[in-house]
Amino acid sequence: MVPPRFKLYLLVLAAGFPPGRSLAAPGMEFFEDKVRPLLVEHCYECHSAGHKIKGGLQLDHRAGWETGGDSGPALVPGDPAASRLLRAVSYQDRDLKMPPRQKLPEAAVAILREWIASGAPDPRLEVPGDPANAVPAAAKPGGLPWSFQPLTVAAGDPELPAVKDGAWLRDPVDYHILSALEKEGLGPVEDAAPQAVMRRLFFDLTGLPPSAEDLAEAGSRPFPELVDHLLASDAFAERWAQHWLDLTRFAESSGGGRTLPFKDAWRFRDYVIESIRQDVPLNRMITEHLAGDLLPAADDDERRRQLTATAFLALGPTNYEEQDKGVLRMDIIDEQLETIGRSFMGLTIGCARCHDHKFDPISIRDYYALAGIFGSTQTLRDYTSNVAHWVDLPLPMEPGMAAAIEEKEIRLARLQDELKKVTALAKKNPPATVLTTVRPDKAISTDQLPGIVVDESAATLAGGWKTSTRYPGFIGQGYLHDKDVPKGTATATFVPPIPEAGRYEVRVAYTHAPEREKKVPVHILHADGEEDLTFDQSVVPPIEGRFVSLGTFRFEKDGAGFILISNEGTTGIVTLDAIQLLSERERATLTKNAPEQDGPDHAARLRELQAEIKSLKNTPPFRPETMGVREVPEPVDCRIHIRGNIRNPGEPVPRGAIGGGHFPDMSPIPAGQSGRVQFAEWVTHPGNPLTARVLVNRVWMHLFGEGLVRSVDNFGNSGERPSHPALLDQLAADFMADGWSLRKLVRRLVLTRTWQLASLPSPDPIHAAGQARDPDNRLLGRAHRRRLDAHALRDAILTVSGRLDRRLFGPNVSAGSVDANSSEAQTLEYSYVFTDLRRSLYAPAFRNKRLELFEHFDFADINGPIGQRTRGTIVPQALYFLNHPFILTESRAAAARLSKSKPGASPTEKVDWLWLSILGRTPSGRERGHALTFLHAPEEPGTHSGPETRYAHLIQTLFASADFRYMD
Amino acid sequence: MFNRRHLLKSTACGFGSLALAAVGGHNASGQSLLPRPGPVVPRAKRVIFLFMAGGISHVDSFDYKPRLAKENGVKRSFDDARTVAKTGKGAEQRIMQSLWEFRQRGHSGQWASELFPQLARRMDDLCVLKGLHTEGVAHGPATLFLHTGTTNFIRPSMGSWISYGLGTENHNLPSFVSISPSLSNGGPRNFGPAFLPPVFQGTPLGRAGQPATEATIKNLGNATLSGPDQTRQFELLRQLHREQRQRAAAAGHLGDIDAVIDSYELAWRLQTNAPDVLDLAGESAATLALYGIDQKHSANFGRQCLMARRLAESGVRFIQVNYTDNSNNPAWDQHGNLPKHKDHAAAVDQPVAGLLQDLKQRGLLEDTLVWFGSEFGRTPYAQDNGTGRDHNPLGFTQWLAGAGVKPGFSYGATDEFGHLAIDGKVHLHDLHATILHLLGLDHERLTFRHAGRDFRLTDVHGRVVRDILT
Repeated sequence: MVPPRFKLYLLVLAAGFPPGRSLAAPGMEFFEDKVRPLLVEHCYECHSAGHKIKGGLQLDHRAGWETGGDSGPALVPGDPAASRLLRAVSYQDRDLKMPPRQKLPEAAVAILREWIASGAPDPRLEVPGDPANAVPAAAKPGGLPWSFQPLTVAAGDPELPAVKDGAWLRDPVDYHILSALEKEGLGPVEDAAPQAVMRRLFFDLTGLPPSAEDLAEAGSRPFPELVDHLLASDAFAERWAQHWLDLTRFAESSGGGRTLPFKDAWRFRDYVIESIRQDVPLNRMITEHLAGDLLPAADDDERRRQLTATAFLALGPTNYEEQDKGVLRMDIIDEQLETIGRSFMGLTIGCARCHDHKFDPISIRDYYALAGIFGSTQTLRDYTSNVAHWVDLPLPMEPGMAAAIEEKEIRLARLQDELKKVTALAKKNPPATVLTTVRPDKAISTDQLPGIVVDESAATLAGGWKTSTRYPGFIGQGYLHDKDVPKGTATATFVPPIPEAGRYEVRVAYTHAPEREKKVPVHILHADGEEDLTFDQSVVPPIEGRFVSLGTFRFEKDGAGFILISNEGTTGIVTLDAIQLLSERERATLTKNAPEQDGPDHAARLRELQAEIKSLKNTPPFRPETMGVREVPEPVDCRIHIRGNIRNPGEPVPRGAIGGGHFPDMSPIPAGQSGRVQFAEWVTHPGNPLTARVLVNRVWMHLFGEGLVRSVDNFGNSGERPSHPALLDQLAADFMADGWSLRKLVRRLVLTRTWQLASLPSPDPIHAAGQARDPDNRLLGRAHRRRLDAHALRDAILTVSGRLDRRLFGPNVSAGSVDANSSEAQTLEYSYVFTDLRRSLYAPAFRNKRLELFEHFDFADINGPIGQRTRGTIVPQALYFLNHPFILTESRAAAARLSKSKPGASPTEKVDWLWLSILGRTPSGRERGHALTFLHAPEEPGTHSGPETRYAHLIQTLFASADFRYMD
Repeated sequence: MFNRRHLLKSTACGFGSLALAAVGGHNASGQSLLPRPGPVVPRAKRVIFLFMAGGISHVDSFDYKPRLAKENGVKRSFDDARTVAKTGKGAEQRIMQSLWEFRQRGHSGQWASELFPQLARRMDDLCVLKGLHTEGVAHGPATLFLHTGTTNFIRPSMGSWISYGLGTENHNLPSFVSISPSLSNGGPRNFGPAFLPPVFQGTPLGRAGQPATEATIKNLGNATLSGPDQTRQFELLRQLHREQRQRAAAAGHLGDIDAVIDSYELAWRLQTNAPDVLDLAGESAATLALYGIDQKHSANFGRQCLMARRLAESGVRFIQVNYTDNSNNPAWDQHGNLPKHKDHAAAVDQPVAGLLQDLKQRGLLEDTLVWFGSEFGRTPYAQDNGTGRDHNPLGFTQWLAGAGVKPGFSYGATDEFGHLAIDGKVHLHDLHATILHLLGLDHERLTFRHAGRDFRLTDVHGRVVRDILT
């Protein structure tokens, strides 16, 4: 029987030993005998052809370790200390430990050390397996994506494809559509019915439904005039702002682990609405998003806009709690690059963080060239805090605001002044009850004291505390001291049982003496964080001769709060008797019952002042600031992080944009700048083949249901190709020539014949053939039937109930500042109650807590750019429409509105009005019949519905019905 | 190739009707959400995950370290995970012995402390993994890692992956349920589908802080409409849908509208059935006592566990039972007061032991995998010289029981102090891979194409821990 190890050895010898080499060569025997079996057994699983090639490193042939993996050569012959391989197996580096699951026995490490020291003789010269396999797949970039080619047409240069049915056409767009259809022997269906066009137009342009009255007049007003009217409305700006907010993953909290509210994110939302209202060119908006803080500004107003725009870079789902701040910094950069790439250029840049992009010509060098730009940009206030915080940029004040803020700040300064004085007074003249030099001479039990009292006997003790009863004025069973106890070893933890959440004054009882410690350390964990304080035991306890107050803190009911007293770092004797916690109510009672004093009660005034200052600080107006970014003091290039690992730095890459010769060159970055200005120029450069195409395609998708490129976020090789490439290029070129105007583009598209096609097939057999041959309707022979998104659904319901509040702009969440370490930050989100009846884009867009309707209707997740809302049909949607209080309330409100606004109308007229208002069409005879039967059915046992209630039930049913969610 | 993307893409109506099918079973176009076998022979049909938020101390529960008692109070240098993340260096720490006595239990002789007296009696059923390690030092990142396989990126939760991979067994109930989840530490992301179709989202029953007696599916009823009124209204909805369906048929849009219509029929059935599944009124006094529901301190978690058993019986695939709250430092997070572990143990000990016994006597443990654990363990030394322990992601313990795993078995080990996993190391990626494997899924082939690439629960990591499989 051959021992297994030996068998393996034989096998290796037979298979891998190159002919013509002799075992007699120096060191080869040692290699074959000791080293090779070790490599085979412990390393090949992850570092050899035919298995895995992790980190790009192969250890199955000599050149493998000579070239090394992503981090360079694996060993330096003759120099074990300089060899990564040896460092890895000896587990010296925290971040490089191989084999990862278990350290090799010391003997094995010694063998490797000896082998390297002897010059690492290795007879394995042949590259095993297919040589191509030796190269990681990642090193082979995909071919050039179609979208990297320059635009094929110039603006306004319609070399239009030939079509047969010239009478059908309205815009050059229609030529492209018709020509492609005719090429397949197909043709377009008829135009949509006037009511269907109206509903489509209102929802597409404004996100709101047409009223019954609008629909009744459908077709009577010239269409272009109606389009212009809607384009000029605030509702248009709001609707398209929402699309832009989706794209920029706008949210009002960070979400994730310790979610933090973005108190000023609403300013970015308002900036987007206002920009679209003013038809600010989209290339300008993108430039402001990326570099607004660096652009020249003519006035305060422009400066305010531009600073606010940079919130785009800060709004991501940042994990502020990440403890490794180096990782956090790179994660933020990654999120920024991924969002910019995906939203504006249809690129998946993030793929290149760890290796060259597998499908597209984006190398890891490209990635870190970009990363250098954003690494030279400051997105966090600092990169050291336990829980990090974004950058708040001060904004120029709006006219009229300065006075109010100044007034507030003067008041605040006065209060703080007084606070200082009163604090001093209170120290000098403690209240009468405090003025005792007499040690209390009787022990009292804990239940003789108000509030929550925890005796030292109930504390959790560590170390050798000693009990004493020498000075009799103690509380409970005695007290503790640390005489002859080693310093830094004794702790006592008091866990007060908190009956209800609230603010409590924390007091400590001790027995004093001159030789006692002057700085006894106390650690308090309370609901808002942690506090480290000290107090002096060499003086008489100021309160009743027993207690000293440590301050007032918030505690959760039965929370994890505790008070820990230790003798760490002390020299004098530390004693411990009890702690007392007083709720605000108990404290108030105590103050009231306190014996009359001569002179003012400084302590009471002190508390008043503290409360007043806190409340004033949290009351508007706040000095305006926005989330945003700024330049770091010294911009630097970023090193490649091999395999995306921050602890594995490679060479630095000069900052720049994606190269490869398919894009315009980025202008050189002036010294001392991050390069964001030049990067913004590059993204919006007319020669950049991606940005205009991507944006035009997004607008097309919003108006037609699918993009010309259906993978709207991915224009790379793994995405789809355009259905009408020439049309896409024509639109992109014209869009840039039109000054990147969103409004002009939308106008042009809705005025095409194609946009106004019916979503129904006509009886014409050619269309039946079309549907069979083009089931996905890629050729757009008819309109897609489309779903209303969550925002449109909610806004439409509120429009019908008449309760939609049409006020624009402004914050929904109000906070002066956000303390990242305080749990109040989370409370703001978790306890938020959504009551606003304004349009849905004003509903606070928290990442962890959503308006319930959004959760069910595909707006649950705003952790990344949303190019296209998903369109799930799930049971919770049905339950929502059947039972949710919002639907029930708005249905009743709509019924009340109906009976009030149409008092004399017949049931038939009312039913018709409801169908128009909710479904955007007149009911069929049968539908009308069902509704009337429902309204007039005799009362049955168990039902109790008066006439208005029946209307409410009918309205709810129409909201619930499938047609309400769809647009023909 | 096993890849549902193709199926999802090939259905003419996109996700709409599929999404429906996930709950509905019958549908016009996509059969792909019907229950289906994975590519590996499954050992488990479902998972019950008992999530102990905050971090149970493994050295006080299942990982016995006599050296801690021997060196109690001694200062030594440790590579503390938090200090290392912040400073790149380790620090001097004071060793703290366990507050609970350890003994060997049952035939298997597995060690367990007095912290969980009832569970300690069931050690012969447990497969204890003592060499776990994970990523994330703070609760948020580590909790997200446990649920989604990443500390920071937006990725689907494990239950969503499983629903996506296996579909549902009961067409009247959701396939993935999370009982009393927390809003904190990732909140909805811990049962969210991220980029998977929304139908794979976990259905929350109640939320942390709400009594389990009130935990139910959202909008399952309303107080405004009487039963007969709602029935009458639902009849009207059916009539209107028949008319709308005819219009849609003419336009060739049947897939969409059928999905909506079916979703209402299912909602209607759910409204009738789910309350029964979640109603514990019919359970005997003996069963209630088995789950500790007769005891004040364990009643709430006992109800959650009993609900989990009823959902498991009804064919729900992935049931997560959360022992947590809504704070940033949830439940088991005893930085300053380790004795409080006792209160939490008292709340879950009987319910979990009862659940195991009940599953076993009903034969459900044969094809149900029970998984118990926290996002990380705790340090063997005291935090800041206090009486608590800090987070320890570098070595900790969780246990599995039931379908496909060795009972009465320990796997892996930490060092002599319980600080670092050193032997039989199982990264949470590996555990994820193993659980998928037990369900019949290959973690390397369960992929979804998003933003230009294929994603997996285990990213590019993970290996099946075959040593623990039966």
